[in-house]
Amino acid sequence: MLRKRGCGYQVICRAVAGAAASFLFCISAAASDFALSPAWLALGHYQPHGNGYESSVDSENFFLSADGKINPQHELDATIALFQSNDDKTKCLFPARYKLLKKHGLIDYEFPECEELEKFYDDLRPAGVTLLFTDAYMNNPSSLFGHTLLRIDTARKGTQLLAHGANYGAFTAGQENSVLFAVYGLTGGYYGGFTVKPYYDIINTYNNIENRDIWELNLNFSSEELDFFVAHLWEIGHTQSRYYFFTRNCSYMLMETLDAVRPSLQLARQFPLQTIPLDSFKAVYRTPGLVKNVNYRPSRQAKIRHRYKQMSSAQKKAYYQAIGDQDYEMQGLTDAEKADILETAYQFVQYQYVAKKLELKDYRRQSFQTAVARSRLAEPGKISDPEEGKSPLKAHESMRATVAAGFRNGEAFQEISYRPAYHSLTDDGFGFLRGAEINFLNTTLRHYDERDKYVLQQFDLVGIRSLSPVDGMFAPISFQILADVRRETNPQTEKEGYTANLTVGGGGSYALSENVWAFAMTNLHAAYGGFLPRNQYAGAGLGGGLFADFGRLRLLAEVEKIFASSKFGSRMFYKGEAAFTLDRNWALAANYKYEQNYGRDTEEFSAGVRRYF
Amino acid sequence: MKKLYLTSMAAGALMLASAPAHAIDSTGCGLGSMAWRGQSGIAPQVLAVTTNGIFGTQTFGITFGTSGCDPNGRVTGGTQKMVLAFMENNMEQFALDAAAGHGETLDTLAGIMNMDKEIVARKAQRNFAALFTDPNIDAVDLTLNFIEVMKA
Repeated sequence: MLRKRGCGYQVICRAVAGAAASFLFCISAAASDFALSPAWLALGHYQPHGNGYESSVDSENFFLSADGKINPQHELDATIALFQSNDDKTKCLFPARYKLLKKHGLIDYEFPECEELEKFYDDLRPAGVTLLFTDAYMNNPSSLFGHTLLRIDTARKGTQLLAHGANYGAFTAGQENSVLFAVYGLTGGYYGGFTVKPYYDIINTYNNIENRDIWELNLNFSSEELDFFVAHLWEIGHTQSRYYFFTRNCSYMLMETLDAVRPSLQLARQFPLQTIPLDSFKAVYRTPGLVKNVNYRPSRQAKIRHRYKQMSSAQKKAYYQAIGDQDYEMQGLTDAEKADILETAYQFVQYQYVAKKLELKDYRRQSFQTAVARSRLAEPGKISDPEEGKSPLKAHESMRATVAAGFRNGEAFQEISYRPAYHSLTDDGFGFLRGAEINFLNTTLRHYDERDKYVLQQFDLVGIRSLSPVDGMFAPISFQILADVRRETNPQTEKEGYTANLTVGGGGSYALSENVWAFAMTNLHAAYGGFLPRNQYAGAGLGGGLFADFGRLRLLAEVEKIFASSKFGSRMFYKGEAAFTLDRNWALAANYKYEQNYGRDTEEFSAGVRRYF
Repeated sequence: MKKLYLTSMAAGALMLASAPAHAIDSTGCGLGSMAWRGQSGIAPQVLAVTTNGIFGTQTFGITFGTSGCDPNGRVTGGTQKMVLAFMENNMEQFALDAAAGHGETLDTLAGIMNMDKEIVARKAQRNFAALFTDPNIDAVDLTLNFIEVMKA
């Protein structure tokens, strides 16, 4: 009986399977090959490590063998032994392993009844798997690059609101506000794990509280794959792994999880160094045969903006009376026009409360008033929620290389820059959060012709800027944080040297038109460097500028006057930057900088090509 | 939920951690919880105030025994329990959809109640005043009103 199905995996087994006694031999021969098969390695989250393998999972309870974390063979042997044993409780933790081994004929035993697991299936009612990407959220350092999570679609009647999100994240024990958060986060000091919650909770969190758009990729899984996915989610859901913000993060673990379901995907392998959520989202999208469909769920703020844009001027006026003065008269408008206003006003009231701009009492009253008023109008409104956004799937790639040439005070130079991540204001903004800039580890090397000298011109540890215009409805803060090392010249001594700089600033932005924004910021500066007078200076600056985004053409002009503790630090500068998109991953760019320091002028101009990859 | 709002520009050091981590909340009931560990932490619902306590606090009704939410943070239970859990978490969107006579929350409730979407939507809008009897209504009363209105 066992012989018949015993050795599906290996041809060699079939030859010797004639004798009943050889079954055990047959199993072990098959198992020794199977232990290094893509399917088993992916299911155990094994990655190549040195000469062997190591699993990304750190929980001891994920391994049945003492050295299972680094030995796929021993783990396989122990798993086969488990399903030969009477330990039903442990068997219930490994439904996907059971399915895989059974499929390959390595075991032939019944899977026990597992109440909790069955409840899990029953609550989920799985119908499919969807990968979700949420836009960047500039107000939380850990969400600057966006986020990805999985959704187990539901077969329940109704809508996918009753589906469940499976989120992989770090358990940070409420330390998000401490420096430990950064240290632990980068060094694997936190453990990560999966949590499951209803999709309506996910929507509330991202769309409604943090005002982030959600993009959904429906994956093309067969019913067998879907079943296997849920089984594996159950297995991996009981475990934790060291969490590294840049590498083994929320998005990376999802790649390994998808690989476990379909080992041929090999998604995790594409992210050996860093896993940027958007990159992983694109990788899934680009995998042939993996994605069925793309959906867009706009954030509440996106809905409000979109609805407002569609209003007539009379509607806009009545809308402001409704949200400003709680005046719901809306005289002279049709019922449909009123419905549009009231539905938008209701959303705005929700937004205000979440943004802590309304007291609970007022919030309830205004919500109630707008909803009641709306319910009295039988006609539907005419304006709609946004149906499609600017897909991040069409955004430029995260890494950028720039080659440029220019002049500094008449001296010619050439330079190359490399930026591992992520997006500058003058990069093509399609698919990115508008006005958000995140430059990470941007490095520029320069060669000066006359001196025939190579120098490290600039190294940006991190540069974050968020420009977000204030208008009649929304009043966000614009801010920037820049930490870099750069090469500077002391005009008095003509000496060159390096300074480490930190700039933090805050202010506001205002949209002069749809495409042109003006901004003003107050900045604090601190610099340190052996070549500086007294090795350091601190300063405060008043700055401002214009940011214009016409799609293919972007312009940025900035000016700042800095008052500093040393004369060297006190300066005035003007900067201009222009970039023009050739195609999605190619752009032309030009930079101009003029600086006044010690009464001397420094002028620099360069032009070059940007390549995104 | 994420308590980290950038209130101070001095958070520069933190920016080093500006990676795609996603701090997990453990606020529990109705707001998701540790699916497998059973750490539901029902008490400190920091965000409940923000997301859910819109028309009232999340009073857990006697009608359904305990609360409408599952300690595992999953969609579960029979019709009444599911309607209550759904209302607790989606009250403010439901109010808008009911007032407008269309929307995703109505379609979802129609599914839970095994009723026709159009009928649910029509009944909800026509009987809005019977659903939302006052600005401080809580999820339990709303659920009872909703079931009553749908039966009629």
